[in-house]
Amino acid sequence: MIRTENLTKVYQMGDAEVYALHDVNLEIQEGEFIAIIGPSGSGKSTLLNMIGCLDTPTSGAVFIDGIDTGKLSENGLAEIRREKIGFIFQQFNLVHTLNALENVALPMFFAGVKRETRLKRAEELLANVGLGDRIYHKPSEMSGGQQQRVAIARALSNDPEVVIGDEPTGNVDTETGNTIIDILEGLNKEGRTVVVVTHDAEIAARVGRTKRMRDGRVLD
Amino acid sequence: MKDAFLLVYRNMKERKARSALTVLGIMVGIGAVIALMSVGYGMQESITGQLVEMADVIMVMPMRMELGSIGAFGSFTDRDQEAVRRIGGIKDAVAMRGEMEEVEYKGEKFMVHVIGTDPKDVGALFGAIVKPEEGRYSKANDHKTCTIGYSIANDYFDDEIGVNDRLTINGSKFRVVGVLEKQGGFRSETDSEIYVTARDSVSILDNEDISEIFVRVRNIGEAEEIATEIEERIDDNHKLDDFTSAMTMGSAIEQMESIFGILQAVLIAIASISLIVAAMGIMNTILMSVMERTHEIGVMKAIGAKNRNILFLFLLEAGVVSAIGGVCGCIFGVIGAHAISFGIHTAFDVEIAAIVKPEVLLGAVVVAMLVGILSGLYPARKASKMSPVEAVRYE
Ligand SMILES: Nc1ncnc2c1ncn2[C@@H]1O[C@H](COP(=O)(O)OP(=O)(O)OP(=O)(O)O)[C@@H](O)[C@H]1O
Ligand SMILES: [Mg+2]
Repeated sequence: MIRTENLTKVYQMGDAEVYALHDVNLEIQEGEFIAIIGPSGSGKSTLLNMIGCLDTPTSGAVFIDGIDTGKLSENGLAEIRREKIGFIFQQFNLVHTLNALENVALPMFFAGVKRETRLKRAEELLANVGLGDRIYHKPSEMSGGQQQRVAIARALSNDPEVVIGDEPTGNVDTETGNTIIDILEGLNKEGRTVVVVTHDAEIAARVGRTKRMRDGRVLD
Repeated sequence: MKDAFLLVYRNMKERKARSALTVLGIMVGIGAVIALMSVGYGMQESITGQLVEMADVIMVMPMRMELGSIGAFGSFTDRDQEAVRRIGGIKDAVAMRGEMEEVEYKGEKFMVHVIGTDPKDVGALFGAIVKPEEGRYSKANDHKTCTIGYSIANDYFDDEIGVNDRLTINGSKFRVVGVLEKQGGFRSETDSEIYVTARDSVSILDNEDISEIFVRVRNIGEAEEIATEIEERIDDNHKLDDFTSAMTMGSAIEQMESIFGILQAVLIAIASISLIVAAMGIMNTILMSVMERTHEIGVMKAIGAKNRNILFLFLLEAGVVSAIGGVCGCIFGVIGAHAISFGIHTAFDVEIAAIVKPEVLLGAVVVAMLVGILSGLYPARKASKMSPVEAVRYE
């Protein structure tokens, strides 16, 4: 499903070159649930941004569903992000002027889905994450765990094959974190490929496969 | 689309003060253009409009002193009037015997232009334009009667003069039979004149000379030609060159219109400067909006928004802000135009009704939106081109 080939990202910091990613070769199978762990600054977020098509590599390639993302235009990348990938952030990153329902419907709005269809689907998605009674709440009127569940619903709105979470439990308490991992597990059982970065060993233990990163490299 | 408006609306609500200030900027710019244009049209109309009512008129006046009568202006004779009457295409040729005379009322004395005309010609002279406010014109059989202009009746003398009051003109008593309506503007001269019959003018005021011949033509298209012919005929009578000046109102209107065209252009140029300031205001607002929402733009791109989705949202914001500004500007402009004409009325006692043309309002809204969208283009493009990772990282 996802494959990286000698994926390298170099940041130029003054005279020094920082290798955020160094020749990463990683293959993630369809339907897999994989956790990426490693110390701060090891390149986990950078890797997720690459496979989430948010960022472009210095060298190497990312293949999604066999498509070489390096060959895609900006619009092509936007379409992959919109249709194939659901991204969940540590900071939730909801649009604070919109309520839960509108936030979840937003990716469908960009996809040109009809208004009634997307509002109906957004309502269902929110019900699935247990927020059926909070659909008209603004992000500022919800707890961190509720906001993160809205973010998950939003990530699912265009029914993506891959769900990517960069420390999705990083800003919530342990109990809420477990609920979120439960939801992600459920998504994986539905057949979606799930990739998460986590610092939490307990969470990592619940996940099928774990990859450890250090200094921009994926260890075996 | 509805949701795009919703997004824009929520953003504007979030930044109420700033959005309102931008709307205000556009409103003032557009309003100024509308107000100045409307007052300009009103001014043009009030002056040329009076002239247009008289478009069939040719004023014939002596231009040069006649040989042998040094120190006095030339004048026409009854023969000249007859000669003019015989020219084809002329409806009327009214002789006016005008002279400055001493007019006395209750001990006060002023020099006033007293004009003698044949009562049967009064209709041709004033038509439906100048009517008595009170009383009537002198009649053919009247003896020593006069009709006075509005200012003579109300402003000249300490006491107001009304119908049946008696004035002393050049030592002879005249009875007032009518007071004319206030004219103002281009015809304000009439307000300070006194009209008597031609017979009284000759026999009592001893004023035989014709100072002016007032001609009405049947067909306005022929006016210029007829004017030339009048000049030739009268010049022939007096055996002089360039003795007569016949001026059509049409040429006066043309002159006025070109002057107003220039005035209008200057006013609009001034108003356009405020529009440019408003455009910079929009650009600034949208730019600020882009900066503040960098993170949000990143999030939108991360969840699949294309560059053109982002571009559209910001252009829509610029368009909405400027459309609201444009509509408010129309309201402000219309109120402003009327306020200006009211101001002119109170300050100068000149009636200038602002003319608000619908096409000006429509044009103003279109210009506002155009200006808004053009100035939103740069910030909107900037927003659309942001890299998603960097924008998401931005706090
Ligand atoms: N935009 C950037 N400019 C310069 N250096 C960067 C940039 N983004 C990341 N880096 C560097 O790349 C390296 C990897 O960063 P990354 O954010 O991927 O780490 P991480 O594993 O996600 O860390 P954390 O667990 O703290 O989130 C770090 O050394 C970081 O300083
Ligand atoms: Mg990270």
